[in-house]
Amino acid sequence: MAADAYERLREARGRLLRESDLALRQSGKTEAEGGCGVVGLASTTPIEGRHLLASLCQMKNRGNGKGGGVAMVGLSAREFGVSERVLADDYLLAVAILEPRVATEVEKNHVEGLFDVDHVKTFRPGRGATGRTDLPVPPPDVHAYFVRPRATAVAAFAERAGLTSLSPAALADEFVYQNSFRLNRAYYASLGEKRAFVLSQGRNLLILKLVGYGDQVLTAYGLEDMTAHVWIGHHRYPTKGRVWHPGGAHPFAGLHEALVHNGDFANYHSITKYLQQQHLVPLFLTDTEVSVLLFEYLRRTCGYSLERVFESLAPTTERDFEQLPAERRALYKRLQLAHLHGSPDGPWFFILAANPRREAGEATGFELIGITDTSMLRPQVFALQAGSCELGLIASEKQGIDAVLRSLHRDGRIDAPEADLYWNARGGSSTDGGAFVFTVRPVAEGGKGAGGGNGRYELVCTNKFGERVSIPGGGAAGTPEARVAETALAERVRSCEARGKGSAEGVAKSIAELTRILDSRRGTPGGRRSVVRLRAEEALERTFRSFPRLDAGLAPYRRIDYASRAAVGAASPGGTLVVDARDFPPEGDDSLARFFVEARARGFREVLCHGLLGQRFLGCGLGAGSQGFTLHLYGNSGDYLASGLDGATVVVHGSAQDQLGNILKCGRLVVHGDVGQCFLYGAKGGEVYILGNAAGRPLINAVGAPRVVLNGTALDYLAESFMAGDPLSGGGFAVVNGIELDPDGEVRPLPTPYPGGNLFSLASGGALYFRDPRKQLSEDQLNGGAFAAFTAADWDLIRPYLDENERLFEIRVEELLTVDGRRLSPAEVYRKIAPARRKRH
Amino acid sequence: MSEGDVVAKHVENLHRGLSALGRGEHPIPEALGNYRWTAELILATWQQAETGKPPTNGMEYKVGRSGGGFDRLAFKFLPPERRLPADLEPDLSIPLNRRPEGERIDIALPTYGGGMSFGSVSLNFMVARCMAARQLGTFTSTGEGGFPDALLPYKDQLITQIATGMFGVREETIQAARIVEFKYAQGAKPGLGGHLLSDKVTAEVARMRESVPWASLYSPFPFHSVYSVEDHKKHLDWVRTIHPKALLSVKVSTPTDVDMVAVGSYYAGAHILHLDGGYGGTGAAPEVAKKNIAMPIEPAIGKVHRYLVSEGVREQVTLIASGGIRTAWDVAKAIALGADGCVIGTAEMLAVGCTHCANCERGRGCQVGITTTDPLLSQFIDPDWGARRIRNLYESWKLQWRDILRSLGLRSIRELVGRRDLLLYRDR
Repeated sequence: MAADAYERLREARGRLLRESDLALRQSGKTEAEGGCGVVGLASTTPIEGRHLLASLCQMKNRGNGKGGGVAMVGLSAREFGVSERVLADDYLLAVAILEPRVATEVEKNHVEGLFDVDHVKTFRPGRGATGRTDLPVPPPDVHAYFVRPRATAVAAFAERAGLTSLSPAALADEFVYQNSFRLNRAYYASLGEKRAFVLSQGRNLLILKLVGYGDQVLTAYGLEDMTAHVWIGHHRYPTKGRVWHPGGAHPFAGLHEALVHNGDFANYHSITKYLQQQHLVPLFLTDTEVSVLLFEYLRRTCGYSLERVFESLAPTTERDFEQLPAERRALYKRLQLAHLHGSPDGPWFFILAANPRREAGEATGFELIGITDTSMLRPQVFALQAGSCELGLIASEKQGIDAVLRSLHRDGRIDAPEADLYWNARGGSSTDGGAFVFTVRPVAEGGKGAGGGNGRYELVCTNKFGERVSIPGGGAAGTPEARVAETALAERVRSCEARGKGSAEGVAKSIAELTRILDSRRGTPGGRRSVVRLRAEEALERTFRSFPRLDAGLAPYRRIDYASRAAVGAASPGGTLVVDARDFPPEGDDSLARFFVEARARGFREVLCHGLLGQRFLGCGLGAGSQGFTLHLYGNSGDYLASGLDGATVVVHGSAQDQLGNILKCGRLVVHGDVGQCFLYGAKGGEVYILGNAAGRPLINAVGAPRVVLNGTALDYLAESFMAGDPLSGGGFAVVNGIELDPDGEVRPLPTPYPGGNLFSLASGGALYFRDPRKQLSEDQLNGGAFAAFTAADWDLIRPYLDENERLFEIRVEELLTVDGRRLSPAEVYRKIAPARRKRH
Repeated sequence: MSEGDVVAKHVENLHRGLSALGRGEHPIPEALGNYRWTAELILATWQQAETGKPPTNGMEYKVGRSGGGFDRLAFKFLPPERRLPADLEPDLSIPLNRRPEGERIDIALPTYGGGMSFGSVSLNFMVARCMAARQLGTFTSTGEGGFPDALLPYKDQLITQIATGMFGVREETIQAARIVEFKYAQGAKPGLGGHLLSDKVTAEVARMRESVPWASLYSPFPFHSVYSVEDHKKHLDWVRTIHPKALLSVKVSTPTDVDMVAVGSYYAGAHILHLDGGYGGTGAAPEVAKKNIAMPIEPAIGKVHRYLVSEGVREQVTLIASGGIRTAWDVAKAIALGADGCVIGTAEMLAVGCTHCANCERGRGCQVGITTTDPLLSQFIDPDWGARRIRNLYESWKLQWRDILRSLGLRSIRELVGRRDLLLYRDR
């Protein structure tokens, strides 16, 4: 049946192309773009658009104002003025009218007669509650038609297209798809006149986009107070300068899904050819449109499950393929044979919002999907939050996720402005598959049908293999134990804060203790860490705000913010400078990073910076010989932190982002959390301590003598081309403990110390010390490295760093050496990887 | 014989040979040159490096015999009576920062030196290039691999290169230079990164790069931190944070969508767009890559120039071409096609005696002491002698450029930019 439907659909589309005079068209890409800012959110309770605003505003530097858009899935019947039934059952055909004169004509040719129209909602930019039109290109009016395909029209279409054997639901889908295709062909062709085009057509799904930034879509169309269960937002960064219409902006619509894309794949032409063989032709000529065509083709036309779709897009390769169970290997091999040449190659990361087709009365729920490419070349962070409002989030940067959470927390919608769990996907892997799906679905015992009856929903997060992702400890808020722990904690925070009201030493002690509560993974058994962190952060914030301003004369702690920053020039140095980061721009001459350079030049030795909103390059530009300068960072630090550091100390009280410590030469970097991609690229030295994990590509091309302790692990490509001499005579190394701290603060080994298939590749110097008592690492992960004897000299070398690691993170060396309750010798626990003996030329 | 004597003898012979062959006193060696860099072009370059003037003995010094590109282009000169008088000296300087903000840096001639790293070439040759750049009023690039102290006196002439291996790149080396060059790709071997084979990684080179002596060094492709245009902007913003006053140059090869790459770099904040075509590179670049991957520079210049004009940003950016620019005439043609100026590498090596033998990747392969780190061979180039020869070559080029401009009726090399109408294509 599926094969039959596939063939029939393919033939029908061939006819459609011939009628549209597109059969032999050679499609070339007319738009080039690369990275972008993307964010996605799925929630059990409907979320207002304004909560996306802060996130998109903070990630503005990922776009260039030449395209932005949002998609929403799981809309509110009330806000659209329709019944629950209409919202659930009708297709929502949204048409952007670029040329007002064609509106009636479009309606006559592509709506009337074909559909029964239950309701029309018109979005006029600038007429919403807070609507603005201060945009370079006025956004189009959008007509959103709630429609049901007319039985007679569908029957005639089925006859004409040879699709009578399709199920009614599949037939209706194809009817809607072909109508939209014809509309786009007639009123929007990438090379011809552009008068109108279909934004989206799925049920309970709407896309809006314009020339501008993603956040401007929300304000221009007045979506701040409109709600949806799933949102995705996008800033575009097209390289072309002049863009006059939003056709190329993201999201792009399939039938039941909207897709945003961050990246630019290399084989656009071959994928276009591949799709042409399936009689699918892009009309907007960007690789994002091609991406959604491909996804839609695999899911709707081929009828694939999401797992199969993911495998077809981001194939499992090399060692990861070998690690799969035999059945999956067989299936994936078949998928790869059929689709490898149609899978996008190069850097890409997709986020989709979907409301997949369901047969009558069946409720599957709304989906938020993130898929990363096999090589993990784009930044991506996933997050999950428990509580009365369960949330799943995906973004290019952690700060983008936290901005949404902060906004929701401000409105009292969630308990803490941080998620309970953050992670990076391992693209095309055997461990998580590199793709995650957040499904929001009605709770079974509640109402029936989509829309949820009594409106109760649950959120389920699964990886590519359908395995459920859950929060360690369950994010158990509300249990009696948790409440006891939280009360105790609140008391501890209160007493700390109170102590900080007195002498300078008292203040210092209070800040240190509150910071320890913020950083610590121990001491609050049963409590939610996000809540613990919140309490500590609030107390710190109050403490910081209680300090005198910088220009008020000498004091042990003085504060400054963006508006008063000029005061640093006249102030006498001394004591600690407390900087409120909030209004500092993320980069440029007035950036926070440059302010730190100035503060140091003025003689300040210690800076505490709070309220960070993803500002970049912190700790950069201090120059050589910056020993004695210390930077403590609270909040969301941004990319390239401490890249170039040459002497100073930088402590991140939380997780950090991408490109940390590039070319780091000397100094100290401590991160009480995870770090992102491309960490310590080209590093030359320094002491670095990371509590959690690193994403892909850490320590690539590092030379000299960097000394690193990574308590978690890395996704892949760790220490490629490592060239850091001989660690036993002054060279560099990394200790990888491969552990995590469970919710009770106990050391727990990760499933494997290192999941990647590439470890220490092409390395010619330095060493890796892995905590691997179960000997899980194997030769086939190495290419250029070899296991070497772990000697007493090695232990003497790394021991001081592990001691410091214990001091910083409370990860006791004794615990590290204890395996299954037995205390082992260092050589039984740690394994050394060193360069394989080189062949001489 | 002591080592000093060996060097002296060899240097004496080299100098004598360069001089005699350059003057055409001997038959042209049969194995010398190829269709692009013909034997005559090589000998003519030697001669100019000695005399500071274009050859007068009939030797071809303007074009090669590749049968395409620059070798088929010629200028439509004005009739002699309409040319500018010989005593008028057209201006050869070009601006490197055409944006309204930031330091104004003009160079006295429309070229500067291309990146050749410490490790790929000898320190003496690097110093010679720096000295010549100072005397000429232009710049030279460090290449990837650090900043030997001997170059510090010339830091006002230096461009610090940041390439994908990040070798020798520290805040200090970034802050020391007035121009920072991001090498995203090299036209001779796009997509292949960089390679310094073990033979050339002496203890001193390894110390400079903080790597392991006698272990081959790979610079990856691409930058692991840059996979998109928005990553690219962030990359530039990073270096701008480290050194806010620096001019930023972005060196890319010439893929088919080089125009998109160029405009993306402009919006990312680059002052200089440096296009490197497929015909450059030393013998260290793999034969299979050279001339076979990147687009030749001639069409790339026009493509990018026109696209920047259509985007309305051409006046904001300095467009520099390299990768197979051999002669003063090539430079002038590249400018007429749309570049503001050129970057020169190979011709400077020829000036100090390179024979184009393509043994550059070996530790002791370069018999004239250019592309070597061998302590003995490295002494073959005396920095003063090398600087004089490089400067002489450019003095000759300056005479030729002025002559070309006068013959076109132009008072400044800046007036030549994008004047395709002044070129004609010569059929066989």
